[in-house]
Amino acid sequence: MPSSQAPPAGSTALDPTAVRPDIADARILRVTPAEVRATLSGLRDDGFTMLLDVGGADYPGREPARFDVVYHLLRMPVTIATVAEVGTPERVRVLCGVPENDPVVPTVSDLWPSADWAEREIFDLFGVRFDGHPDMRRIQMPDDWEGHPLRKDYPLRGVARERTPRPSFALKSNVGAGTPASGKTAAALQKQIAQARGQAKQEPPT
Amino acid sequence: MTTATTPGARTETGGYAVDVVERSDNRMVLSMGPQHPSTHGVLQVITEIQGENITKASPEIGYLHTGIEKSAENLFWSQASTVIERMDYLSPLTNALCYYLAVEKLLGIDAQIPPRANHVRVLLSELSRIASHCVWLGTGGIDIGALTPFFYCFDLRERILDLFEASGGARMHPNYIRVGGLRDDLPDGFLGRLDAVIAMYEPRMRDLRGLLQKNPIFQDRTIDIGIISAEDAVAWSLTGPVLRASGIAYDVRKAFPYSGYDGYEFDVPVRTEGDAYARFLVRLDEMDESMRIIRQVRKKLDAPGPVQIPDTKFAPPPKETIALSMEALIHHFKLVSESFRVPPGDVYQAVEGPRGELGYYVVSNGDNRPWRVRTRPPSMYNLQVLKKLAIGELIADMVVMIGSLDPVFGEVDR
Amino acid sequence: MALGSGGDFLLTTVDSVARWAQASSVWPLTMGLACCAIEMMTATAPEYDIARLGSEVFRASPRQADLMIVSGRVARKMGPIVKRLYDQMADPKWVISMGACASSGGVFDNYAIVQGVDTIIPVDVYVPGCPPTPDGLLYAVNLIQQQIKQGGRGGILARA
Repeated sequence: MPSSQAPPAGSTALDPTAVRPDIADARILRVTPAEVRATLSGLRDDGFTMLLDVGGADYPGREPARFDVVYHLLRMPVTIATVAEVGTPERVRVLCGVPENDPVVPTVSDLWPSADWAEREIFDLFGVRFDGHPDMRRIQMPDDWEGHPLRKDYPLRGVARERTPRPSFALKSNVGAGTPASGKTAAALQKQIAQARGQAKQEPPT
Repeated sequence: MTTATTPGARTETGGYAVDVVERSDNRMVLSMGPQHPSTHGVLQVITEIQGENITKASPEIGYLHTGIEKSAENLFWSQASTVIERMDYLSPLTNALCYYLAVEKLLGIDAQIPPRANHVRVLLSELSRIASHCVWLGTGGIDIGALTPFFYCFDLRERILDLFEASGGARMHPNYIRVGGLRDDLPDGFLGRLDAVIAMYEPRMRDLRGLLQKNPIFQDRTIDIGIISAEDAVAWSLTGPVLRASGIAYDVRKAFPYSGYDGYEFDVPVRTEGDAYARFLVRLDEMDESMRIIRQVRKKLDAPGPVQIPDTKFAPPPKETIALSMEALIHHFKLVSESFRVPPGDVYQAVEGPRGELGYYVVSNGDNRPWRVRTRPPSMYNLQVLKKLAIGELIADMVVMIGSLDPVFGEVDR
Repeated sequence: MALGSGGDFLLTTVDSVARWAQASSVWPLTMGLACCAIEMMTATAPEYDIARLGSEVFRASPRQADLMIVSGRVARKMGPIVKRLYDQMADPKWVISMGACASSGGVFDNYAIVQGVDTIIPVDVYVPGCPPTPDGLLYAVNLIQQQIKQGGRGGILARA
């Protein structure tokens, strides 16, 4: 079962993509939604012919753009090529910040047909729409689902199940670290102790 | 019977409406799946056919969407691999390896993995590749009507699963690869059993090739079916055996070596025809190359060595020391109750899975849980090309094409 | 229709022969969803061989199957389809919930997975494991056979 011991808030970085750890996995570019198509088709003309992946991420509270649409491209020959000709191709990561109030990004599914399902998935799970996509509808969740599950404010167990009470043995682990004990139990316990010591005045029952 | 509704809308009975085409000129809309013996999982292909020819195929996925990426965000770094292993369930150790390679890069300990741990990781990856291709070959044969290869393949797979059970404790999701190496060293007697598997492989592959490779019925059903050109393969983001059967020799183990793969001698099988038969041959040759790597790894496994980095902030200390050393006790306690923290940053790590380039884009915000684990699912991109491949083929060839693309729906839907 | 009422002992020779015939040829539906489906396929493979228990063929059509082995996690999108397939199966029918995910949601206590297929369809035997070894599945089929031979449905197991 997941444990929810929350770490102190000060240790979290609001924008991990701004931290550049010393890892040589890809060349990194950050663009706005308006620049996406130009950047990606420019990279494609430059030899980055394979769109490895289009993914999404959610950074609530990050200004100006809450969501990230992350494109990974790979330099790849488009004709028959041996291992030596493929070599060690270069990777590029294009991060496109998408604001929360207007989550729209132009589609790249006409540049790469493989972006079709990936963009549908980002729409389904994050709510970011892709302008010009031929079939912008949900792909993973049922068509009548409400909400975008991979957003950070969407509960893990789903909206309906969050409201149902959990068995008591599970409640303890769900309490975040540092939360004070619930009022009734603590008060009742204090009352018992005080009575046992014969000191307390009778508190009116709450 | 049905009224015309927009495709994808719900009908009153809870079904999903498809494009309704008036029946004339032998045109028909079929929903193939999601429960189907030959779709390799829960795939629905809404096919429009004219007579026996497919005019349009729209695969519908999501019938196995598990919320694995969301679950991983709520589990510790070391716990998340339990759910991540269940994505590509035919080769679970590959998923775990890729995820932990990404985490190790973020932690900065990727250069400190002990050599024996890397050898075992390579061994398990290649055994997973053979086991996964066994399932592909067995089920692919059944789809075409050849039942015997299924039994031969699954018997070989059983011996490999026995090795996983011996080393990791479980046949399918052993959770054996951990941050910093492995959970534990190989048990006694493992190497003897590995030798038995290596000895059994050659005659078994000879049998399998004898059953299918020159079989005229098999060739008739797979040659010139589902042809993908190299240019199309790149445009559709195909990787793995599907890409290599179309002529481009991109293999992550050669292009971006990890876990010591640049120290092993192996070839990357490539074909240029791009049809289902070429994909079949590439996968068979890949199994042979995997066995070649396994033989090389086997020689290196005779020498003993540590299988975990000594830094007990990430890897638990040996059990014997916990009763003796206060520091070991504290580290163990912290690891189990709170796990380690990973410095903030993002990384993309890829490995060569049996289906293609399996990648994880892992983001950490400094917490003891992943912030985001985005999977680059090779099966999803490989499956998408079905929209293009199926047009013009016979409906009977649909299962051949799906089988040759080898999708696993745990990965497609996550 | 089920022969004899639930939980009774075998009453007549004809009944007992009919139940023996039913129990000896339980044909499962190919309802493979996820990882458990691979272990279900392995149960048909030579090492475990479910055919010796009578499950010679797995039928793809629910009309022709007696036993639905729900093997794997049931996604929310797949739930109505599992229910529809169960409804399409002809009586008498039995259900094995194979694996932790089908029995209770398993590792995935989240928005996407039905927390136990017994919230949608009645289950006769639950098989724990993630995934259970094929031995576990064979034992479950044995239990189904015992239930059939004892007559009726349910036996000592309560139905959801």
